[in-house]
Amino acid sequence: MAEAGGDDGRCVRLSADRAQALLADVDTLLFDCDGVLWRGETAGPGAPEALTALRARGKRLGFVTNNSSKTREAYAEKLKRLGFGGPAGPGAGLEVFRTAYCAALYLRQRLEGGGVPAKAYVLGSQALAAELEAVGIASVGVGPEPLQGAGPGDWLAEPLEPGVGAVVVGFDPHFSYAKLTKAVRYLQQPGCLLVGTNMDNRLPLEGGSYIAGTGCLVRAVEMAAQRQAEIIGKPSRFIFDCVAKEFGLNPDRTVMVGDRLDTDILLGVTCGLKTILTLTGVSSLEDVKGNQQSDCSSRNKMVPDFYVDSIADLIPALED
Amino acid sequence: MAACERLDGGALRELLARTQGVLFDCDGVLWNGERAVPGAPELLERLGRGGKAALFVSNNSRRSVAELAARFARLGFRGVAAEQLFSSALCAARLLSQRLPRPCPPGAVFVLGGDGLRGELRAAGLRLAGEEPGPVRAVLVGYDEHFSFAKLSEACAHLRDPDCLLVATDVDPWHPLSDGRTTPGTGSLTAAVETASGRRAVVVGKPSTYMFECITEHFGVDPARTLMVGDRLETDILFGHRCGLTTVLTLTGVSRLDQAQAYLAAGQLDLVPHYYVDSIADLIAGLAD
Repeated sequence: MAEAGGDDGRCVRLSADRAQALLADVDTLLFDCDGVLWRGETAGPGAPEALTALRARGKRLGFVTNNSSKTREAYAEKLKRLGFGGPAGPGAGLEVFRTAYCAALYLRQRLEGGGVPAKAYVLGSQALAAELEAVGIASVGVGPEPLQGAGPGDWLAEPLEPGVGAVVVGFDPHFSYAKLTKAVRYLQQPGCLLVGTNMDNRLPLEGGSYIAGTGCLVRAVEMAAQRQAEIIGKPSRFIFDCVAKEFGLNPDRTVMVGDRLDTDILLGVTCGLKTILTLTGVSSLEDVKGNQQSDCSSRNKMVPDFYVDSIADLIPALED
Repeated sequence: MAACERLDGGALRELLARTQGVLFDCDGVLWNGERAVPGAPELLERLGRGGKAALFVSNNSRRSVAELAARFARLGFRGVAAEQLFSSALCAARLLSQRLPRPCPPGAVFVLGGDGLRGELRAAGLRLAGEEPGPVRAVLVGYDEHFSFAKLSEACAHLRDPDCLLVATDVDPWHPLSDGRTTPGTGSLTAAVETASGRRAVVVGKPSTYMFECITEHFGVDPARTLMVGDRLETDILFGHRCGLTTVLTLTGVSRLDQAQAYLAAGQLDLVPHYYVDSIADLIAGLAD
């Protein structure tokens, strides 16, 4: 494949030589998961071997994912199951930074000192609710919500839970018009926060297909409530700051590896990390070129330092 | 230049004297919920007697034209014929009929919406996904109380085909109920579908001018002598400006006077009505006896 790389010298193919030089100056690699390590339940060819080789060279690995539908432990278990290793036992999950976990930390900060036990209306999974509960925030609303009665008058008359201080929007396979209506009602109460775990518009699945992502649900709530949500996940800094605090990271010696220009790469650029785009997921080289050539400065930012066809391309640089 | 002036006295009389026809929004203009705006039925009657045409342009995609006509009758408006009614459901059916092959192939339209919308589509000869198999060639997003993640995902699957149309009946973000509470509008559902698919929907309803095209197919309209009367700045008034009509905001619905004045101060003139009234009953005084 011909080398990409605009006149600005970015988005250069990460050859084995360049990779060796890069990795010599790097302590930590942060990986997105969907579209980088795996698609659905299938590990990318060579991806487990690449991570094993990185660990063998003493590199710290972190997994930074916008996925909010599994607990940290479940994520760690998936990493293990698909051959990506990682610490077992009580250390399991410590490498995994999910927006659900970071959202819980953020909300605890914001809802603290309210004088009443914190409570959130959650458009999301049990896993998200579990993360909230782990930091002392009670959840209501998880699961299906059928429309009661005959029309808007009826379902708007349904009683609300008292004391809800925030609406949290994550990946919610039970999302419905009824739940959207309820979320808007809570948001119309004074002081109620609106937090979205991430803005990903799609979740890639095996075979090139995809389903709607959390971003769609956040936009629906924002539109109906006429408010902007605070977003925890990539490319917002919040999730990186969460990782940096726990790991004690030096941005200069950290690489972000991802498949999406508008989340992974933008996060890396914003936080001063080196960035590698893998072509196994959402974004393509055409997308990069479009951003490089754009007149829009926010698009210009979304260009990686390097690209690889897949993270298996790192392996030659790690062999002795 | 639109300056949001109160419409009364001599200005009102002069404006109505040179007006040939009036386009009215319905919800928040003629009625609120099950209650007609006091004086609204009388206004329509007086317009008719004065030889002025009245047409009705509604973004509400829950209702078929037949249901809308029944609502007029039920709330005390007499003499309103189906031909005068332009709903986003009706116009969505027309748009899809124009853009899909004729006759419509089986199962061509995947609809996120209720019975009123579906009935209007079938009446136009369109064939709906879920009722028969066939490749889906258009996704139509309307007001859908049964919207779900599963339906969102199904819409996305169809929209992976770049030739599959994406159409929205309207993009209203929310609708008021009579007691000040709100329900989510088609706009919020359309936002979800657009975000997942990465596509922009073709919008049938105001402020898109498409419904005006539907109107002018059937009626001769001179924009310079036609009023647009509505309650929502971002839909009715913007629509009116885009169609070259004289715009009147009525304060019995969604938008408030201070919002119009804020747009004026900010220079967003296509959201500023030429005139405003407290209610459309105020227009009666401008009509010659």
